[in-house]
Amino acid sequence: MMINVQNLTKRFSGRTAVDGISFQVQPGEIVGFLGPNGAGKSTTMRMLTGYLPPTSGSASISGHDVFNDSLKARREIGFMPENVPLYEDMRVAEYLSFRAALKGVKIREVRSHVERAMEYCGLTEVKKKMIGTLSKGFRQRVGLADALVHKPRLLILDEPTNGLDPNQIRQVRSLITQLAGEHTILLSTHILSEVQMSCRRVIIINKGTIRADDTPDALANNLQSSGTVSVELKAAPAEAEEKLTALEHVRRLSSSDAGGGWHRYELRVEPGGDVRVDISELARARQWSLRELTQHNATLEDVFVELTQRD
Amino acid sequence: MRTFLILLGKELRAFFLSPVAWVVLALFMVITGQSFSLSIGLLREKPSDFSIVRWTFFPQWFWYYYFFLFPLITMRLFAEEQRAGTLESLLTAPVRTWQVLMAKYSSAMIFYCVLWLPALLYFGLLHWVMRGDVEIPMGALGGSYLILFATGLFHVAVGCLASSLTRNQIIAAILGYALILLHFLAGTFLMYLSQENPDRLRPLLDQVVTMRHMDYFTLGLIDSRPLAYYVSATVLVLMITHQVLEYRRWKA
Repeated sequence: MMINVQNLTKRFSGRTAVDGISFQVQPGEIVGFLGPNGAGKSTTMRMLTGYLPPTSGSASISGHDVFNDSLKARREIGFMPENVPLYEDMRVAEYLSFRAALKGVKIREVRSHVERAMEYCGLTEVKKKMIGTLSKGFRQRVGLADALVHKPRLLILDEPTNGLDPNQIRQVRSLITQLAGEHTILLSTHILSEVQMSCRRVIIINKGTIRADDTPDALANNLQSSGTVSVELKAAPAEAEEKLTALEHVRRLSSSDAGGGWHRYELRVEPGGDVRVDISELARARQWSLRELTQHNATLEDVFVELTQRD
Repeated sequence: MRTFLILLGKELRAFFLSPVAWVVLALFMVITGQSFSLSIGLLREKPSDFSIVRWTFFPQWFWYYYFFLFPLITMRLFAEEQRAGTLESLLTAPVRTWQVLMAKYSSAMIFYCVLWLPALLYFGLLHWVMRGDVEIPMGALGGSYLILFATGLFHVAVGCLASSLTRNQIIAAILGYALILLHFLAGTFLMYLSQENPDRLRPLLDQVVTMRHMDYFTLGLIDSRPLAYYVSATVLVLMITHQVLEYRRWKA
């Protein structure tokens, strides 16, 4: 097991940032850590990397406890902290060499490790530049190169695409996908499409607790509660509303006037049933005119909103 | 050890690649050079109780610039890492906090020692110019370097502590300066008190009053008590600094 987290809790003076979370990550998995800002993503990652000690609970990286056996655990990890802190007054290659040596790469192999990391992250052209003069996109890549320079088995990336433009996001994302074969990856983000594209598993966290832990597709499918069905009918509004609400699986209904005697209804549907058949049969029995009947599948975004805004 | 050396190398590079270090070094050479040439002039005019070494290293204005040195050297060490957030990437690498602390402390200490090296050259030059026809008191020279090293150990440690307490370099500098000055003034205050009660305070004075240590050592009188005092005070301050760095993570 690559990561094993048991009842991990972190309390700051009076505030609980992470509240007894547990999860496991197997070698080779790419796990997206998803949640709104302030949900406890960074705090969890900082505890995994040994920067913050947990208040209670435990976490281990390939069997090494992050608190009691911190050095061994940290050797397994390549960590890219949020906002990518770097030494502004060092050159790219110089910085990466320093970091590689610091993380235990043998002196003779530092050069080849650094070359490889720079090539991977597209940094070869700027290797002699001062980090302070680099653009945000390049800085982000330096952070990524730093995380993987010592070939760690586990990459922990805290918001790797934060603050990048769409092209850069795409580049970083494809980089992560490339890395997937060699490393186990835990990445945090609040950008949903990112998780959907690069992760095979999503952990949604809010207010310090885990709200969901599944594949992106399964999450979307299981939570059809946030799926909706749109119907456009020509019928007496009061009667139509009453009958539609009475249908099985329908939770909520909102209506609007679509003009020319037509009314549009948005139905919130519970998981499990398909109400479209019922609606068409109802329309036939009542002799309503029906011109639209559409089911919208829940996206990961719906799931996210549903899970993180419910309270 | 390897980790420590890698960190030390990085810290030393940071020192000697920054313009601040060279400005400090240049200013310092101007000050000590001026002291040296003034003391030669002084000794040429009339005989003095003190040697040329004494006048060079500890002119009357010594205390005015000496304490400024330490904040300049140490203010950046931890404050800058905390401001830029690089402490996080540093401490999540497989390194121990004390390795980081000792690397930073040692680099500052090395820089401090380098500051005093050019002064040796002055005496060498004098010896050479006078074709050996001048007596440079080696005991006093050795004693001066020893006490400068010992007080340096302690003051650099205090500077590290101040830098670990804040993320603002200016505050770190002022705080470091205040703490160092406080220690010095406490000593002078003791000296003042001892005028009324010489017998009881005398042993304490020899232990802790920096000004008095300087007086003895520059005469070539090497006393192990102040050395023990500075070394143990340094260890204490460094241990507190270590606790501060760890505590900040616990609290964060």
